[in-house]
Amino acid sequence: MAQKKVLHLVDDTTAGGVMRILDHLLVQSELSGAVEQKVLRVKRTAFSWGKLNADVIVSHVVPSWRSLAAFSALRAMHLDTRLVHVEHSYTRAFTTLNVPHKRRFFAMLRVIYAFFDQVVAVSQSQLDWMKERRLAASEKLTVIPPAVDLEQLSRKTVPPKSKTTIGAIGRLERQKGFDILIRGFRSTHIPEARLLIFGEGSQRLHLEELAKGDPRIEFRGHAEDPADAYQAVDIVAIPSRWEAYGLVLDEALAAGRAVIASKVDGLSDREGDARVSFCEQDSASWRSAIHECLRPVIAATSN
Amino acid sequence: MPTASIVVPAYNAEATLAETLTSLQAQTYDDFEIIIVDDGSQDATARIARAHLGDPRVRLVQQANRGLAGARNTGIAAARGTFIGFCDADDLWMPEKLAAHIHHLKAEPDVGVSYSGSALIDEAGCTMGIKQAPRLKDVTAAHVLNRNPIGNGSAAVVRKTVLEALAYRPSFETERDWVFDETFRQSEDIECWMRLMLSTDWQIEGVPGLLTHYRIKAGGLSAALDRQLEAWERMVAKLRPLNPEFFARHELSARAYQLRYLARRAITNLDRDTAWELFARSVQESLRPVLEEPLKSSSTFAAALVLKTLGPGPITRLGQMKTKLQSI
Repeated sequence: MAQKKVLHLVDDTTAGGVMRILDHLLVQSELSGAVEQKVLRVKRTAFSWGKLNADVIVSHVVPSWRSLAAFSALRAMHLDTRLVHVEHSYTRAFTTLNVPHKRRFFAMLRVIYAFFDQVVAVSQSQLDWMKERRLAASEKLTVIPPAVDLEQLSRKTVPPKSKTTIGAIGRLERQKGFDILIRGFRSTHIPEARLLIFGEGSQRLHLEELAKGDPRIEFRGHAEDPADAYQAVDIVAIPSRWEAYGLVLDEALAAGRAVIASKVDGLSDREGDARVSFCEQDSASWRSAIHECLRPVIAATSN
Repeated sequence: MPTASIVVPAYNAEATLAETLTSLQAQTYDDFEIIIVDDGSQDATARIARAHLGDPRVRLVQQANRGLAGARNTGIAAARGTFIGFCDADDLWMPEKLAAHIHHLKAEPDVGVSYSGSALIDEAGCTMGIKQAPRLKDVTAAHVLNRNPIGNGSAAVVRKTVLEALAYRPSFETERDWVFDETFRQSEDIECWMRLMLSTDWQIEGVPGLLTHYRIKAGGLSAALDRQLEAWERMVAKLRPLNPEFFARHELSARAYQLRYLARRAITNLDRDTAWELFARSVQESLRPVLEEPLKSSSTFAAALVLKTLGPGPITRLGQMKTKLQSI
């Protein structure tokens, strides 16, 4: 039997995390016999992406009104091709915080999802939201949590030596909520505690301003090898405002680190995992979560 | 189970409760229950409520006084309907109101709160020729903060799932959840609806028509206006952490709108100094209301100026002035 051709569409706005998921998918040896996978970069605002040669087309493109033309052309030109869309971006919390006109936004998603034979949610919470908002017929919806290579990370990291260094790893953007974490951490007044922040982004100056005057907080910039970042910290904090899935949580656990995460979207799917504690998205909750995590250490040193 | 529940918080409402209940019992949509919450009244409220219990759709819940928010929360906890409406014990619903909101909510799955405009009535129940005709479509959080379109406590019908999403339980509360924040004695409505806009992905939307008769009590003291401003500021301070960027963008203009609204209330109270001061503060805060609604701002300015320089005489005499001050 001939190999099936699978074509993945990505665009310039596709996040780095999505590219890593694709890289991982492309090297899966058990798939390579059955399917031939390719990645195609497209322009989101193009009128059409043309006639594509594939048995299955998987879109990782972020839906928007501006990409409506291209999505509709995709369907029109591939009536017999199976079209799958993977929703890496949008969630309930994203909509709540970023979309002033929610009805128009939902209408846009419904129109675009309707072009596809299957719509993939990356977490159960995201799927529940899609169903509740009736963004696509429920028989079209499935959950496929993304995967990346975590083996290297667990091989390269050894268990944490101390227990008082908290790490935040990710882009310095509003989505990641590091401002909430910094405010919460600053209010803890535990002298042994450290907060290391790995990553770059547009909020760097703002975050440095928030951290100013607290010598326990350090900005370490982008870590070339993520293993170095995880090795440098004992507890990983994920204070995201929205997060469709949250690969950083998987990575932290693979590196054998305890996690504090905000209870939002895909992150909340991991509720019940004893290694992860959850807190609300405000500084006061982060303050008490940090206290809770560091309590055994503080008790030991004060004795 | 009834499709809809109408929660009627009642505190010392003997003068108006019967009329309110009659207007609810006359709804053209008939699958509903009425939950009267007697919030520790000392007058004949409970007796009047009991007189309506012959109607199997009417239920009475009594509690020690907890305030308006507390009475609504108790009503929500008792409600069995999929849709929950609110009608204060001195307001009236037009017969077709419930039908219009149920139809709207069933047709629009993204809409969590359906509301309507209101006609204002005086203490005698006479319409004053003044209306609240809010924005109905494409309502954003900024609209709600500037000019809350759910203009009073008897305008909205809400999905139960929305109230569940808003519910929380303070650590000291032993009986039931809070939807409205009971620590607020004023601005409890706007606090709840702003929290809805900032912490959920529900849309709110109005239906046409003045389907509520909203009763305005005469008088009102300047001290009450001060407390109202205080409560509004506390609402902003409470909700700011939910979306600091949103408040950074909209807080000044919203405060200006709030001050202008209070200035207009002071004008109707003929309180010359307060009216002038509130209007001046509004303009200092932001010129956005003046730019967005120049007629309303200039009529407020004119009235405040006349009141300040000539005293209350012209304002009370000039009936047309009152017409210009419509829709407060």
